[in-house]
Amino acid sequence: MPKKYHIDIKPTPLNVKLIPKFKITRGENCINCGKCTKVCIYEAHKRSEQDIRKIADPYMVACRNCFRCIQECPRGALAKGLEPDFQALGGAYWKPDMFLSIWKQAEDGKVPVSGAGYRGPFTGPGFDGMWTDMSEIVRPTRDGIHGREYISTAVELGRKLNHLEFDGSGALVSKIFNVVDVPLPIVFDIPASDLLTSNVKNAMVTAAEALGSFAIFPSAEISPDMQRHMQHIIPLMTPDSIGANTALIQSARVIALEYSGALLENFAAVRRSVRNISSALVIVRINAATGVEDTIVQLTKAGVEIIHIAADYCGMEVQGERYIKDVIRAVHLRLIDERMRDEISIIASGGIGMAEHVPKALLCGADLTAIGLPLLIALGAFVYQQPARKIVMPEGIEKIPVGIARQRIVNLMGAWHSQLLEVMGAMGIREARRLRGETGRAIFFDEIDRETFGKLFQKQESANV
Amino acid sequence: MKPDSVIIKPMPSRFKHQVPKYKVTRSDACINCGMCANSCPYGVHERIEGHNKMRPPIDYKCIGYECRKNDEFYCVYRCPRKALSLSLNPMYDALGDCRWTSDMIVATWIMAETGYPPERTDLGYHIGNSGGGFDKLRLKFPDNPPLVEREEISTAIRLNRRDDGRAEVVISTPVYGGGMSFGSVSLATMLSKARNATIWNTFTCTGEGGYPEMLHPYDDHVITQVATGLFGVREETIQRVKIVEFKYAQGAKPGLGGHLLGEKNTESVARMREAVKGTPLFSPFPFHSVYSIEDHKKHIDWIKEMNPRALVSVKVSTPNDVDMVAVGSYYAGAHIIHIDGGYGGTGAAPDIAKKNIAMPIEYAIPKVHNFLRDEGARDVVTLIASGGIRTAHDLAKAICLGADGAVIGTAEMVALECVRCGNCESGRGCARGIASTDSELADLFDDQWATQRLTNLYHAWNVQLVDILQRMGMKSVTELVGRTDLLEHVDYS
Repeated sequence: MPKKYHIDIKPTPLNVKLIPKFKITRGENCINCGKCTKVCIYEAHKRSEQDIRKIADPYMVACRNCFRCIQECPRGALAKGLEPDFQALGGAYWKPDMFLSIWKQAEDGKVPVSGAGYRGPFTGPGFDGMWTDMSEIVRPTRDGIHGREYISTAVELGRKLNHLEFDGSGALVSKIFNVVDVPLPIVFDIPASDLLTSNVKNAMVTAAEALGSFAIFPSAEISPDMQRHMQHIIPLMTPDSIGANTALIQSARVIALEYSGALLENFAAVRRSVRNISSALVIVRINAATGVEDTIVQLTKAGVEIIHIAADYCGMEVQGERYIKDVIRAVHLRLIDERMRDEISIIASGGIGMAEHVPKALLCGADLTAIGLPLLIALGAFVYQQPARKIVMPEGIEKIPVGIARQRIVNLMGAWHSQLLEVMGAMGIREARRLRGETGRAIFFDEIDRETFGKLFQKQESANV
Repeated sequence: MKPDSVIIKPMPSRFKHQVPKYKVTRSDACINCGMCANSCPYGVHERIEGHNKMRPPIDYKCIGYECRKNDEFYCVYRCPRKALSLSLNPMYDALGDCRWTSDMIVATWIMAETGYPPERTDLGYHIGNSGGGFDKLRLKFPDNPPLVEREEISTAIRLNRRDDGRAEVVISTPVYGGGMSFGSVSLATMLSKARNATIWNTFTCTGEGGYPEMLHPYDDHVITQVATGLFGVREETIQRVKIVEFKYAQGAKPGLGGHLLGEKNTESVARMREAVKGTPLFSPFPFHSVYSIEDHKKHIDWIKEMNPRALVSVKVSTPNDVDMVAVGSYYAGAHIIHIDGGYGGTGAAPDIAKKNIAMPIEYAIPKVHNFLRDEGARDVVTLIASGGIRTAHDLAKAICLGADGAVIGTAEMVALECVRCGNCESGRGCARGIASTDSELADLFDDQWATQRLTNLYHAWNVQLVDILQRMGMKSVTELVGRTDLLEHVDYS
């Protein structure tokens, strides 16, 4: 058996200011009796160190919302509410609770576990409108008995053949394409930004290296000290700048080109010019937009081997109304109709913010996903959707050692990897490659709701007529 | 109808304060005249003779805006200096979530305290705010139902419909308590669940963690669970009970095993489970000896052999093919099919599993009900639903969708003053002493208090269920089963 893929997690606190979810204020009628310090099992209430006659301001990061201090304060002197700064985080897509979850995963690298049932909405737009299925115990067609140690999360980038051809003497005549293995279906997608200090960029790259994955960086962002890690960097460039980036392409295993209408016309020539420099695989990065599936079919016919479909940071088409989930499904099904699905790998990005989004994107038809914002959030970044996208890196981020920042990203990916294993284990699927387009293991809200309640309640109406 | 053993007694909160919905604000214009204190019958205002200022208002006692109609004492109107104002309390936002809204939690507390649905009209507790499933279904009451007296209405259901010579088990209300193991909850919690089940002539379930001796007096109302880790399963425990439950999966974490963190595996828990103290205990997934209906049948036969009177319940979660599984379980010999939906409760589960794996119970019930009916097996098996049944109205809706009854877990915990903070699993466990075996926390309440709270809750639910049946013109809850024509859906109807 090949060596098992393992992600080294290590508890790594980050010394920056994070925002607690709740706020407790102590009224003037507090008599400093200390009851709250006794009933709180999380030590959110303590006596003041300066003056032990007084109770210190509540340490809200520790508060777990058990309400005991509120209910047991003899004077009813404590008031509680949601912290407005916390509620202001993110927005409709990047919900404040996602930040808490990412912070915690980046700190301990573990699967978030909690008590009580699910507390969110029944369904929602995008990925929230689907569930993953599980394989029931007594079904004889399961994928076999296996623990999570037998589940592989590896996927491949590149073109695969539908079948092999041999000549009369049994010699292989098919040309086998070069593919690159990625041990988990996640690559990093780092946008150009003034916010990214060199330690952060180095942390992203070295984390990608530690994970055996890749970080996509605009070629201009790749500083000389990062070039030592080119095996794990995918330089992103326009087709015009291939010549200017010869050095990068020479040392890269995979490069990415921005899509333009012209690329569709002259892809063969562009591909040749890359091949003249190195054997690197080429990704074409295209924005998710109305009709993108047509363009992708044409690109595939033109010989593109990997497509990166990028939605906006909330998982919406850059032009159009669809969520990335629906774009991936449309592209995947279209490629199947055209009988060319295996000729191309699909990377999906935009709005991948929680571990669950990865298997869901794969079930919809992607081969792998790309993420950016969760990595920044792992490093303490605040993201705001309103009035427009704004990212605020924590104060002093430039002083965080690369090792700490890297470990937090590795931790986050370790937690996501474990969660992917959990979901795949429940599905009874042992290879991430087999998740692709496996909608038999997905339950879509629109479909099941119509099938169940639509049938039940619309039928009745027509029967009454 | 409640059994004679049910006696309703008010059982107030164990805490000094409740979580207030409203906030009464007193401005500096107050002259400490005491008018409010003299007029408010709820005790919101306190004036102490000799103090030069009124005490701060006790918000949680205030009944809110509906007090406006009380011209003679509504403090905001009565205050001569207009120093009082009323607003929603931000504290309320920190309680609850869109599935278990703050109103629902507070209403459940009131039911557990009084034994009746709240008299207050400002609590929207019949539906939650999740935007789907039960929260979009509404009961449709006929305009002129046949006249039925409350006393004529039966809420009893039979659990054994196989006519196989095994125990005829009838429960007085179509609800029983979900499996919670010793270790995941305190002994007082477990004991109160069993005592209440006895009082209500229904059941509670041990979960997978052994059968504490303290439950022996309640044997006839305890379901013992055989789950994948086989913790605490012995011939003796199987023979003790009237119902044995095979737990294949749990709605909150379908396809995943159970996990008791090392911290919660205390001395007494370890002894019960025959394990080593302090080590994390895993129940694997799936049953490593069951890979087909035939294997499954073998296990059921084994239980039946060991206890010739016992009924067998099979608890499964809700994947796409849950209907096939249900029919398979029936053919394997199960008396009760218990389906646990994806949004069900838990003492600890990965967040990713709770939200994402398997379908909500609202879809699974009609799927299984219809499939069993088409197979001709519906009348010989009892279908029990769980996983997100929060209120008596959810219960009625689940029955209309095709279930015979329901299992509840979270609602019982809320009756014991759970706030659903979700920290059952961490460190010393539940801060409120419900789901903890920590020596100090587990002593926060006694089982007498807890038993009465549960009995009151079950009563309040039963009262509401009887109300619903009366408005439907039905004499038995069994008439409600599968009556989807008595439901409407906000999006479709």
